[in-house]
Order: sequence, then structure tokens, then C-alpha cells
Amino acid sequence: MSASYQLALRQLTDSALPTGAFAHSLGFETYIERGLVVDEGSFAGWLSAFISQQLTYSDGLAIRFLYEGADVGELDEHLSAQLLPRQIREASTKMGARLLEIGAEVFPSDELGTYRALVTSGRADGHQPLAFAVVARSLGVPLEEALAAYLFAAVTSLTQNAVRAIPLGQNAGQRVLRQAHDGVAAAVEHVRHLGWDDFGAVSPGLEISQMRHERQRARMFMS
Amino acid sequence: MNTTATAAGLTAGAGSAPAAPPDLGPCPSPAAPNPRKLGPGPSRPWAPREHHHAAAPKSGSAASAARSPRGELSLRVALRDQRSVAVHQFHQGALRVLRPHYLDRSGQVCYVMVNPGGAYLGADLYVVDVEVEAGASLLLTTQSATKIYKTPGSFAEQRMAVRLGEHAQLELAPDQLIAYRDASYRQDTRITVHPTSSLVISEVITPGWSPDGASFTYEELRLRNEVRVESGGDEALLALDNVLVRPPLGDVSGLGLMEGFSHMGSLIVVDARVDQALADELHSATADYDAYTGLSLTRTVHGTTGLVLRSLSNTTEELNRLLAACTGLLRERWHGRAPLNLRKY
Repeated sequence: MSASYQLALRQLTDSALPTGAFAHSLGFETYIERGLVVDEGSFAGWLSAFISQQLTYSDGLAIRFLYEGADVGELDEHLSAQLLPRQIREASTKMGARLLEIGAEVFPSDELGTYRALVTSGRADGHQPLAFAVVARSLGVPLEEALAAYLFAAVTSLTQNAVRAIPLGQNAGQRVLRQAHDGVAAAVEHVRHLGWDDFGAVSPGLEISQMRHERQRARMFMS
Repeated sequence: MNTTATAAGLTAGAGSAPAAPPDLGPCPSPAAPNPRKLGPGPSRPWAPREHHHAAAPKSGSAASAARSPRGELSLRVALRDQRSVAVHQFHQGALRVLRPHYLDRSGQVCYVMVNPGGAYLGADLYVVDVEVEAGASLLLTTQSATKIYKTPGSFAEQRMAVRLGEHAQLELAPDQLIAYRDASYRQDTRITVHPTSSLVISEVITPGWSPDGASFTYEELRLRNEVRVESGGDEALLALDNVLVRPPLGDVSGLGLMEGFSHMGSLIVVDARVDQALADELHSATADYDAYTGLSLTRTVHGTTGLVLRSLSNTTEELNRLLAACTGLLRERWHGRAPLNLRKY
């Protein structure tokens, strides 16, 4: 293992990292309720749309902009404004708060301290992709590696949640994850080519489903 | 409204500034090869584009430097003797407003925007600047649908800057946007409100039909609304509503994108009276329509909150009825006004 950040990055993106990701479907539970996500194939389809849309245009771009030197407070404000479904906004700040807390314990840095101070003083909300990006950057993780690791960690959590919720077999979950490699690689590449106007761009279907989750009667997930 | 009005007859209500000679020549320069590389400069790649108020529409961003507007409209409305009136008007090129009218006794003034050219073509840029001063109320609509035709290698664009003063009201209710085959369009609307302002925007986008009868042959539609709240010199971003529909990149009718529907409607409401109870009420009001609808509250900034509703359906009429049910509820509840009936045929 050549680079010194390797183990730190593994710890940061391990699905056992206690950020509460097990509690969020980020909208796929609405598709389960509508009978549109019912098995391995249909979940893989949803996951692919989610990677190429929200994870690319919102999370992925936020990470890239932070690496390029954008002001963390300004990016935080944009995420709070562009995550229009309330539960998605709350999911991002709930997991972000945990990541900021864990990061301060195990990977402290001046940059992380600055972001935490903005959050504790109410000047920022503390979003998950930014908390991750601040820590990863402070550890010297190159952008593309950080992006791929973040996206695949998000995909892994969602797949584990789908395995429980749909339910899928454990092996089916692993097949979905393997299939998602290409989507994640494409997203990492896509993020490089986007601009400020693309930040937060959404497709209507995903967003409506995330909004409708607020009113779903029986639900396992907070989003 | 008289829909038989023609381009030649639309000078009524024209602005205090005379219109410039019509520029019917080709637009100066089409967009750069990659139109997505707008805005950010290399030194500050993440930098947001500067606000483009009509006072300085040709400065600030690389995009606006590249082409001059085909149509420009600037309108400032203020309260005079309990009635809202335009205190400044300017138009140039292919954008005008019809003579103002008053739909009821509330003092709210209604202006109708007209594009005498009838359609947006490749590289067309339209710039609209609207200000509603303290206490005034404006209803801004269009005379007919906005049609986006083929925009080869480029895109048509509308940039709109809106500023609302204290207790100012704006209802923005354009007719539907129709995107035809190979059309690419961007609509960038930047709005600044005061915590006491009231804003309601409703819009519908629909696919035009291609000669072979297939829908969804447009290239890309981007509708971006940015709402900021300004209070005591401090400005904060309340909502960034950035919709992107790009059919060729995948199955647009599929999961996560258009979900099998062809039309999309949106409603944005910003008002200090927006709360979860209102969101629940509007959600119930949308239940009876043949549409797939979601809505959610935005964050709260300086004491005001937004609400965004998004709906998918297969007809313009159904979305118009759904949105009218929502705006009608708000008009009655907040302003004691009857539902909108613009009698456009």
C-alpha cells in the first residue's frame, strides 16, 4: 500500500461507519411502494438513474468544487437550497453531522475545524458530501479517488438497504454492486465535465418520488 | 384577451423608452462548442455567474458577452394611490408587453408579455428584468405558449431577473413552454425577495410533436430558478430549483426521469405564510388530478419559506388545472382574490 491515506479512506467509506446511512433509501422506498422496484433488475435500474443524476450533479459536483477551492460555506448553502425534497436535505445534514463528528475525533484538521465551526454557529448546515470532501482532501486523497470512493460507499449503503427492504438475496446485492462499478466510473468522469450551472440539476421523477416519501404511510426509511 | 393581435398591432403600452430599430439579422455568435462550459472562468472554476439585472445585461458573464439579446424587456411596478402601476418600462427587439389591465379591484396590475416573433430559435437570447416595489402587486403572464424550435449546435435562452420589495407580490404565470424537435433551451431566473414578499410561479413544459408524430424529440431543457432572500443587507439562498431534461441520454420516459409521462408542471411559492399545514393542504388539493405530483418545503431563511411542487402528466390541460387549483387556493387565502381566469383561447 503506497499512499498513506489508503487505510484512512477505507475507514471513511466503510459501510460500518456509523453515519446512519442504514436509515435512508433516498427515494427508492417510494418506488418499492409503487411496485416499480421489486427485484434485482428493477433496483439496479433505479440505482443507475440515481448515480447518474443526484450523485453526479449534487454530491459529486460538491466534492469537486470543494477540491477546486470553492468556499465551503457557499457550497453548503447551495446544497441546502438545491436539495428541495425536505427528507433528502435532512438526510444529507444528519449524515453530515455524524461525519463531521467522527472526522473531528479521528482525522482532525484545520479545514474540518473551520467547517465544523460554521455548522455549530448556525452559518452552515453541514452536508455529507462536503464533510467527506473536507476530510478526504485534508488526508491528501486525490479528487478522482475520493469521488469514486464516496460514490461507491453511497451505492453500497443503498444496496444493503435494498437487500433488507425489497428484499434481495445477499448474492443479488453483490451482483448489483458489481454492476454499479461502471455507473460509478462514468459518474466520476462525468463530474469532471460539468459546470456551475449543472450544480443541483435534477430529473423530475426522482425528485417527485423523494418528495412523496414524506407522505408514505408505511415506511422503513427516514427518506 | 384578444389572441388575434398581430405583431404589428402590439405596440400598445410600449415603453417609456422608444424601441430600437428591429434587428432581424442573424444573432451574432452561436454558443461555444460545448454550451455547458458557460459561466465559470478558469481562475475561479466554481464561481457562480454574476447576477444579470437588465441594468447591465451585457456585462459580467462570458455567456452574455457572446451574444446580444434578440429581445429585452424591463418593467418596474410600484404602488400609487392603492393601485399598482408601471413606473418604468423598456423594451427592445422581439419582446413587448400589452397594455396593462386590472382583473379585479385588488389593485394588482396584470401585464402580458408578447414575443411578436412567435418562437425562440437557436442562439436567441431574451432578457427580462422585473422589479416590484414595496407594497405593489404584479401578475405577469404571456400571450401564448413559448415555442422553442430547432436550435442546431446551440440553444435558445431566457434570462430573467426579478426583485421584490417589502410586501411586494408577484404572480408569474406564463403559458406552457413547447419544445420541438432538436430544440435546446435554457431558462435562468434569478429572484431576490424580501422576507415579507410573496412570490408564486407556475410553469408547464410540454413536448412538441415531430413530423413523424413522436414526442420527446427535443434535445435538452434546463429550467433554473434561483431564489434569494435579502434582509438588512444580508442575502441568503433560499431555493435553487434546477430541472434538467435531456431525452437522448437515456429513456426519458423511464424510471427517475419522466416516469412515463410527457409533460411537467412546477409551482414555486415563497411567502412567510408557507408552512407544513399549507403544504399538506396543497398536496390534498392535487390528489384528484391525473398526474404524479410531489411537493416539499424548502429551508427557511430570514423567516420566510418556500414550497416547490413538481408534477408529471400527459396533457397541458391537466397540469394547468392542477396548478390553477393551487394558485387559486393561495389567491383566495392570502389576497382575497378570485382564481385566475385569463380567458386565453
